[in-house]
Amino acid sequence: MSRFFATGSDSESEESSSADEITPKAPGATFKQSLLLSDDEEDTKRVVRSAKDKRFEELTNLIKTIRNAMKIRDMSKCLEEFEQLCRAFLKSKNIVDKEGVPPFYIRLLADLEDYLNQLWEDKEGKKKMNKNNAKALSTLRQKIRKYNRDFESEIAAYKENPQESADEEEEEKEPEDSGSSSDSEGEVSSKSFLKKKPEAPSEATKFLKSAKGSGDESSSSDEDDDDDDDEDWGSDQSGSSGETSDKEEGKTSSMSMLFLKKSQDTEKPGVRKEERKKKLKQKERIEEEAEEEGGEEAGGGWEKVKGGVPLVKEKPKMFAKGTEINTAVVVKKLNEILQARGKKGTDRAAQIELFHALAAIAAENNLGQGILVKIKFNIIASLYDYNPNLAAFMKPDMWKKCLDCIDELLDILFEHNNIFIGENIAEDSENLAVSDQPFRVRGCILTLVERMDEEFTKIMQNTDPHSQEYVDNLKDEGRVCGIVDRLLTYMENKGSTEEICRVYLRRIMHTYYKFDYKAHRRSLGLQGETKSEQDQEESEGEDSAVIMDRLCKFIYAKDRTDRIRTCAILCHIYHHALHSRWYQARDLMLMSHLQDNIQHADPPVQILYNRTMVQLGICAFRQGMIKDAHNALLDIQSSGRAKELLGQGLLMRNMQERNAEQEKIEKRRQVPFHMHINLELLECVYLVSAMLLEIPYMAAHEFDARRRMISKQFHHQLRVGERQPLLGPPESMREHVVAASKAMKMGDWRTCHSFIINEKMNSKVWDLFPEAQRVREMLVRKIQEESLRTYLFTYSSVYDSISMATLSEMFELEMPTVHSIISKMIINEELMASLDQPTQTVVMHRTEPTSLQNMALQLAEKLGNLVENNERVFDLKQGVYGGYFNRDQKGGYQQKQSYQRDQKSYQQKQSGYQRGGYRNQNQGNY
Amino acid sequence: MIFQLVIVFPEGKCVIATGGLTISSISTSKVTQVVLKIIKHYQEEGQGSEVVQGVLLGLVVDDRLEITNCFPFPQHTEDDADFDEVQYQMEMMRSLRHVNIDHLHVGWYQSTYYGSFVSRALLDSQFSYQHAIEESVVLIYDPIKTAQGSLSLKAYRLTPKLMEICKEKDFTPEGLKKANIGFEQMFEEVPIVIKNSHLINVLMWELEDKSTVADKHELLNLSSSNHLEKSLQLLMDRVDDMSQDIVKYNTYSRNLSKQQQQKHQYLQRRQQENAQRQSRGEPPLPEEDISKLFKPPQPPPRMDTLLIAGQINNYCQNVKEFTSQNLGKLFMAEALQGHN
Repeated sequence: MSRFFATGSDSESEESSSADEITPKAPGATFKQSLLLSDDEEDTKRVVRSAKDKRFEELTNLIKTIRNAMKIRDMSKCLEEFEQLCRAFLKSKNIVDKEGVPPFYIRLLADLEDYLNQLWEDKEGKKKMNKNNAKALSTLRQKIRKYNRDFESEIAAYKENPQESADEEEEEKEPEDSGSSSDSEGEVSSKSFLKKKPEAPSEATKFLKSAKGSGDESSSSDEDDDDDDDEDWGSDQSGSSGETSDKEEGKTSSMSMLFLKKSQDTEKPGVRKEERKKKLKQKERIEEEAEEEGGEEAGGGWEKVKGGVPLVKEKPKMFAKGTEINTAVVVKKLNEILQARGKKGTDRAAQIELFHALAAIAAENNLGQGILVKIKFNIIASLYDYNPNLAAFMKPDMWKKCLDCIDELLDILFEHNNIFIGENIAEDSENLAVSDQPFRVRGCILTLVERMDEEFTKIMQNTDPHSQEYVDNLKDEGRVCGIVDRLLTYMENKGSTEEICRVYLRRIMHTYYKFDYKAHRRSLGLQGETKSEQDQEESEGEDSAVIMDRLCKFIYAKDRTDRIRTCAILCHIYHHALHSRWYQARDLMLMSHLQDNIQHADPPVQILYNRTMVQLGICAFRQGMIKDAHNALLDIQSSGRAKELLGQGLLMRNMQERNAEQEKIEKRRQVPFHMHINLELLECVYLVSAMLLEIPYMAAHEFDARRRMISKQFHHQLRVGERQPLLGPPESMREHVVAASKAMKMGDWRTCHSFIINEKMNSKVWDLFPEAQRVREMLVRKIQEESLRTYLFTYSSVYDSISMATLSEMFELEMPTVHSIISKMIINEELMASLDQPTQTVVMHRTEPTSLQNMALQLAEKLGNLVENNERVFDLKQGVYGGYFNRDQKGGYQQKQSYQRDQKSYQQKQSGYQRGGYRNQNQGNY
Repeated sequence: MIFQLVIVFPEGKCVIATGGLTISSISTSKVTQVVLKIIKHYQEEGQGSEVVQGVLLGLVVDDRLEITNCFPFPQHTEDDADFDEVQYQMEMMRSLRHVNIDHLHVGWYQSTYYGSFVSRALLDSQFSYQHAIEESVVLIYDPIKTAQGSLSLKAYRLTPKLMEICKEKDFTPEGLKKANIGFEQMFEEVPIVIKNSHLINVLMWELEDKSTVADKHELLNLSSSNHLEKSLQLLMDRVDDMSQDIVKYNTYSRNLSKQQQQKHQYLQRRQQENAQRQSRGEPPLPEEDISKLFKPPQPPPRMDTLLIAGQINNYCQNVKEFTSQNLGKLFMAEALQGHN
């Protein structure tokens, strides 16, 4: 009742009348109540209503204040409120659209306009008004004139019959109080319709006048009578209790109308339902429909929102009740379940159960493979969905289920040739029913398998690699491979080229990092003990190599996306390198030109590239291509972040730099443990390669001021070794290499050998190679050769001549090898010596400058710089055009150039001159 | 070691003479004591390129500065960072006075590494010494040369010119140019005479008679490359520094000239404008402070360059001396071989 009071200018008589009305209404309400199913239902309805209520209440409140302001002639307040009212009306526009313009609003507009006109005419009153009010009056008048144009017809209607409209407004409130509200609209509309007829003539005379008054606003020359009348009417309004009887009549009739309508509704729900669905815009209907649907069990839009749990429990029962189960029904159910997917509060496990149940039902009823396939698709999809975030991995039982499901799905697909699946098949063009035509199912088996593969990777990433669990999980790899293989055969028959490429890549990804022991052993067994490079060539053309070749070549030829091809190439190279087919691997790498543009690729591909490069380097090392090995590994190793670059772990020192989000992303990129490349092996290979290159180089360029380091990392290790205050026997791999390097510096190859190849190093590094023995032999030989070179570089100044036989004995190399090495050194002008054939000795020329001489040369160079700089100062002081300095400068430059030339020629043709000549040369320069 | 030293200077007379003050010889036994003390100090505390320092005590007699005693500065360690050196010196001198030894401060000594002593630090401290005590000298002791058989002890003073520059602290290129000072005129070497008492001289003669020939072979050592290499290395470092300084100076002078050009242009423009205004009968533009508009670039201090030059000169002298000695030895050896 309080709300009733609040709404406005109503009299007590009306209050009593409304009290009367409650009684007849009661049965109606209960009747309606019986239609409702649950309390929930009513709640939802209230929400709908309250939106309208709120708006209208706002409007009525505003109207009330306006009326009050009108009474005290406060124009400025009136204007203010009117503006607010307009705004509020705009806000409630969509409600108004549905309901029509509320009559009380129209009434106010009309009244206000009349009132303003009246004030406007009252010249004297206007004069009395203060300035603000006068101003507000004129503005408001103009505004309302403009505004009312939009409502002309309504206002005209109202003016014909103002009384009735006023009543409506009051009536409007009453039903709301009674609690069951849905009838109010119907009531209003029907009543207003009813009322218009009887009331219109009764008060026509009175209102004609006012209509006339407001009708020609423009002609502002009206009589005072008019004003009076209007005013009378305004005050009449509250006191016009005489009309209540009329009103009550109308009310009862409207009530009966309402009941009639309702009963109609309930009589034929089926028919009405169809109609109503189309006219959802009308609010009352929605409500009614909701009620009806609440009665039925079939899920409508309203109920689904409430969450999957109750729904899920009911659904299987639904079918059990004996509805005819056919494809359409099952599909509908499927869609229903699907709609709950991804919503909050949906129990995902239950959903999966539900799908299974559905699949069972479908199978029971022999609905055909089409529907089964579709359900399977959805089961797998919801299995993937089970984990809410991307980072989490599947639980083992889920994973098993997923594998089983995919297996079954593939079984079905293989058995039934007439099933077409594809992403592109639209939902409505699916053909699931059993018919002559082949099944058409939307869905992509390839995507599912790819997702499965990713899930597998994720599981492997998240398992502790040193646990039994990891081994168990790894056993699933076989199944994954099996599925990929089956898919591959399926796709080869049915898939498009693109899809084949994708599935091929999956297959390649599962193959490239595995060493083919079978082929390896076979090649060994066939060829006996000999392990030449020819064997390596022949071992190609076996097993995995053939598969890789076939798959990769298909991709090279057919693939359109760059990424798949890039991955395939990298994997192919990796596989070649892993199987020691160095030349193929290298050629492929060079042909692909990947080195130029790999930095534009996405991180996973870059990681793959890094892995490939490392494998390539290790392969080169095994083949004895030390320099190639070093070059391939240099980039990865010199950064000091090999672990990170290979995707085999995160570096701790980066922890502060990246936030949690980045870390998650990086973690997702990690390569599973079983695909890791042994980092110690990698480092050892790199360091040993660097040692074999760097030590002779260092010995050769001992006095060169501009000597460059070949490998910074190796030097770093050497320095670390030197810094040690107490040098014990080497423990770690690095210490071994450092110790070996020191021995090599002295040309002591035996010590070097014992440091590089021993029990510890074997177990740590060398035994990891498939052909460990061969690698070790290669290594020994390289150590001998490089030690010989180092020895010659370091001690050549001590010798006048040295017999090659002695050298061959010292380094346990055959004479021809020694001969070839020394010849090479002489040709490259690394060693100033000549070979004396008859005696088989190396005769040193002894033209190497001593350190003092080297130093003097450097000093000379520096002095040259100094002079040049000094001359520039002169230049500046005297101006560039100074003749003397020009000449002098020229001389200086010439001198410098000649010096440089001599320096070069000196370095190039060191063998050319003897000590005396050397001194002369220098004197000539300075 | 000590024997060799004595043998090198058989007369045992040691006189230090300073240019400005005209100082020469010194009283006897105590001088040897000074030299030996310095050598001992280095032997005990200095290693490699480390430098030892100490205070010289003595007095001025006529035109000679006689250095009769010395004591070392204690070696600094990190532990006693708050060690008060002045306090120590005063204490030391007071104690010496108590035992009736000459206690007048007449300079300081320093050891050197391959003759590298011309540095800013030496300049500053010698300046403060010479500023406070006019007759003070710095004795430079080269232990490496001494170890090769010839005692190397040199006394230096700052020239009056350099003293003036240091007093004014004007190390800009202009300042040095005005003072007209080169690296040759920075330090003046004071001749040294070492004097021993006659009794000691007698003892030494005796000792020399007793010593075997083998002891003297150090002098004839032919291996020279090590010393030369070191010297060359140091020389090279200095040369590098020198070129850097020159480059710095070069940029400075280039900037300066560029700015001057701008200034000139600016002035010309201003003049033209003024002339135009005058012809139109307007008042000329107010004079602006040009130095504010064009801030001259910071001139690089040239003192370091001078010092480096001095140091290079020093090295060169060293190398020259060394090589000439060695050449002599080589010729000697050649002649010997030929004779055999």
